[in-house]
Amino acid sequence: MNKILIIIPAYNESKNIVDVCNSIKNYDKDLDYIVINDGSTDDTLKVCKENKLNYINLISNLGIGGAVQTGYKYAYEKDYDIAIQFDGDGQHDINYIKEICRKIQKNEVDFCIGSRFIDSTSSFKSTFLRRVGIKIIASILKIFCNVKVTDPTSGFRAGNKKVIELFSKCYPTDYPEPESIVFLVNHGIIISEVPVNMNERQSGKSSIYAWKSIYYMIRVSLAIVIDSITLSKSRGDK
Amino acid sequence: MSETLKILLIAITLIYLFIIIRAVKKRKMHINYSIFWIFTGVILIISVLIPNFIENISDFLGFEKASNMVFCIAIFILFYLVLSLTSIVSKQYQQIVKLIQEVSMLKSDFNKEDKNENK
Repeated sequence: MNKILIIIPAYNESKNIVDVCNSIKNYDKDLDYIVINDGSTDDTLKVCKENKLNYINLISNLGIGGAVQTGYKYAYEKDYDIAIQFDGDGQHDINYIKEICRKIQKNEVDFCIGSRFIDSTSSFKSTFLRRVGIKIIASILKIFCNVKVTDPTSGFRAGNKKVIELFSKCYPTDYPEPESIVFLVNHGIIISEVPVNMNERQSGKSSIYAWKSIYYMIRVSLAIVIDSITLSKSRGDK
Repeated sequence: MSETLKILLIAITLIYLFIIIRAVKKRKMHINYSIFWIFTGVILIISVLIPNFIENISDFLGFEKASNMVFCIAIFILFYLVLSLTSIVSKQYQQIVKLIQEVSMLKSDFNKEDKNENK
């Protein structure tokens, strides 16, 4: 039996976090989870304490990247076989945990991303403009890194020991998901996708605000292109 | 350049050097970063003391006016300084992230041990 850890980054999620943790325990009692309270300004910390959740309280706000990496560091220290990123806002559907782990447990792939855009399983597919943005990022990933990912911004992902070790040492900040895919490809990680269902967030806002979307696109594209340049160089050296 | 202006410029530069050296002594400025500022102070004093120092270099390099050379060099140096500051800030940002993560993990492990002892 593999030791599986669910990493739940939480920033101002006091309303959702208990439900999310309960849903995990109801789904499978053998699953471990760790809530990373990313310096929340509401009473997320209090809720974690009162409900005796398993949590790490970051002493200062780090943003999603730093919070998720803390989870991977924890997974690395406690020697977990598989780590799953799972949002603290109830957006992700717990019933797909087994599905997302299956290929990793079979040793077919190292890293598995839960995608909203394979088949039509997901009820929630985001707004039209955001879908266009995701398509563009996916195309850039395909062109520069030669990796086919339909949902590069998905935060519902699972990785094996190799991935845990890599991410505990290095994880991008700010808007980490697409960038971290390039990082994994650079290190020879095999990536796959499975269709998952995502709900509309119950409360709390997406980390990507509307007025920031242009900056987001430029920032993410630049990161992918720059990272992939070093990729071709290091390949040339070998 | 009139004698009064020369004396004034040298006095200002000496005050400037004094401020930097005092900051280093009081550990308010790291000695690595002070080297550059002391160096500029010394250059300033030299260029005031030696007549036509700036003009001669400017003629040698082929600038039309000495002021053009001064501005050009100053802008390049400032560009370099801001670039190096950006990279210092980025490095420190990474260090701070790591520090927060490690401290937070240590603190939560510590808390859990406390709870067990209380039981």
